Amino acid sequence: MSGIWIIAEKKEHALELLTIGRVLAAQMETKLSAFLWKDQNVPEDYIACGADEIMLAAPGSEGQSLDAFIPVIAAEAENNHPDAILFAATARCRDLAARVASRMNTGLCSSCTSVAYDAADRTIKMERLAYGGAAVQKVICKTRPVMVTIPPGTFEQAKAEAGRTGIQRELSTPAPSVLKVIEKKTKVRETKDITESRVIVAVGRGFDKKEDLDLARKLACALGGEIGCTRPISEENHWLPEELCIGLSGVQVKPDFYLGLGVSGQVQHATGIRQAKVVAAVNKDENAPIFSVADFGIVGNLYDVVPKLLEALKRV
Amino acid sequence: MPTIITCFKWVIDEAYIRRGSSGDLDFSAVDYKISDYDRNAIEEAVKLKAVHGGTVASLTVGVPEATKGIKDSLSRGPDKAFFAADASFNNLEPSQTASLLAAVIRSFITPYDLILCGEGSSDLYTQQVGPRLAEILQIPSISFVQKVELKDGKVVAERRVEEGVEVVEAPLPALVTVLPDINVPRIPGVKDTLMASKKPVVTIKKEDLPPFPAPCLETVEMKAAKMDRSCEKFGTDAAEIARFVDVLRKKALI
Ligand SMILES: Cc1cc2nc3c(=O)[nH]c(=O)nc-3n(C[C@H](O)[C@H](O)[C@H](O)COP(=O)(O)OP(=O)(O)OC[C@H]3O[C@@H](n4cnc5c(N)ncnc54)[C@H](O)[C@@H]3O)c2cc1C
Repeated sequence: MSGIWIIAEKKEHALELLTIGRVLAAQMETKLSAFLWKDQNVPEDYIACGADEIMLAAPGSEGQSLDAFIPVIAAEAENNHPDAILFAATARCRDLAARVASRMNTGLCSSCTSVAYDAADRTIKMERLAYGGAAVQKVICKTRPVMVTIPPGTFEQAKAEAGRTGIQRELSTPAPSVLKVIEKKTKVRETKDITESRVIVAVGRGFDKKEDLDLARKLACALGGEIGCTRPISEENHWLPEELCIGLSGVQVKPDFYLGLGVSGQVQHATGIRQAKVVAAVNKDENAPIFSVADFGIVGNLYDVVPKLLEALKRV
Repeated sequence: MPTIITCFKWVIDEAYIRRGSSGDLDFSAVDYKISDYDRNAIEEAVKLKAVHGGTVASLTVGVPEATKGIKDSLSRGPDKAFFAADASFNNLEPSQTASLLAAVIRSFITPYDLILCGEGSSDLYTQQVGPRLAEILQIPSISFVQKVELKDGKVVAERRVEEGVEVVEAPLPALVTVLPDINVPRIPGVKDTLMASKKPVVTIKKEDLPPFPAPCLETVEMKAAKMDRSCEKFGTDAAEIARFVDVLRKKALI
């Protein structure tokens, strides 16, 4: 027995995994199975979008953590010998994937940007970023199952096709985990999704205080774009929400125009703007790394340059 | 009083990696460092000790040259260090690193209460070693933590997930991986460095450990990521700003 498995908590992520899962299953001439938590999602939807088989897991009871399912997933995999298991690279699933991989003594390729079957040597070749994004690492997994985590947004969501059929089977209910979720503080998303923005003005630690970000907002407004930021701005200063953090641990953006203000351009950030059509930057340090990954750079103090830019843009 | 283990990786400072002419990685000018977020883990361990007492041990598995990292780690506050050193502990894959760390902990640092790791290493950033280590030791793990407390034999942590924050509780011993915003790691001073050289270091040889597994993953290629940009620079006087805006206009960006 064999197969490709996908595991994601949210439907939108599962559909993305079904897209690549379908490709691999077709090339490897095997079936595609989806692991699904019973309470949240409709199995028929997954079947319509490409799954041949649904493994239904008992819904996690209140306060249960995903790690209760480690033994269930590992036992299923030991009995059914899937070729590969693809996980959505969300916080809880990344954790789950690492523990399942460890339990099964197999390799896990984290945060893959591409997954492809190579028929010539019958291996799955996976690519990911290394050294903060300075390098692209291509790996194969010599043990089975091949385990992979894939960041949300890497693949398009699979679309439903009429007339598809599949089987469903229920998995055993796991014993509760000793890990308990005692409180959930859900945040409301207040900002736009910048992965779709056409123009992005990114702010970095070159700003002295939170109020000064207005300068960046004004510029973003004048350019018809949104603001984004570096990790220290969102994680350390908490000046902007995390979903605006661009880079390795944030989002990858692909605007027509990216303008970094007071951003040093270290590789972990720069890797997030690789797909921008035009990159520009304002930094007072002429040796800042951002200038080597920018098309146009203004060497100067942003507090001097931004007002001048606003003036000049008014005249356009 | 708790025994806290803080694991760290001695890594290449990625800021010094250059792109070679044929697209390969040029490591000729590199320096090494304690992986960024592991410094947060060490800091957090030392902070917890300040509240609860107990001892903090830093731990790494690496090549003999990583002894510099051991000194660095001790200058950040831990009481002692464990160093599994061998020339073959190079380019380890996450499954191997976790297995070696588990072996050292089992044989040399048991019993313990809490293991702290960084969220991911700054070189490969696979974010696996923490949870893998917990799985081998069969203890609960909580990843991506922004706040951690010890209370009545339990660890209570705030972990960050896509929807917000979850407050999670687990009995000790447990493992926690920390996010960079959990604290600001100290910058060791001259006195800290002097004190560090007096602290005990237990060096463990490969022969003292059970054989470690073969790698599961194999890197078949590692090439420099491409960033081809025109790198044109501008000044800040009126003419230069006008030229900058003009370029943007020509590119139809404004
Ligand atoms: C594993 C890992 C993952 C990471 N992931 C990310 C990520 O996803 N995204 C991310 O952004 N970072 C990430 N980082 C952090 C990254 O390495 C850098 O530390 C970060 O991007 C730097 O942010 P910054 O440019 O705002 O700050 P700094 O590096 O402090 O740069 C500030 C810049 O502002 C300039 N400046 C100061 N004052 C002025 C002024 N008045 N006018 C003009 N310029 C001025 C300075 O010259 C400097 O270049 C990660 C790090 C690690 C280790």
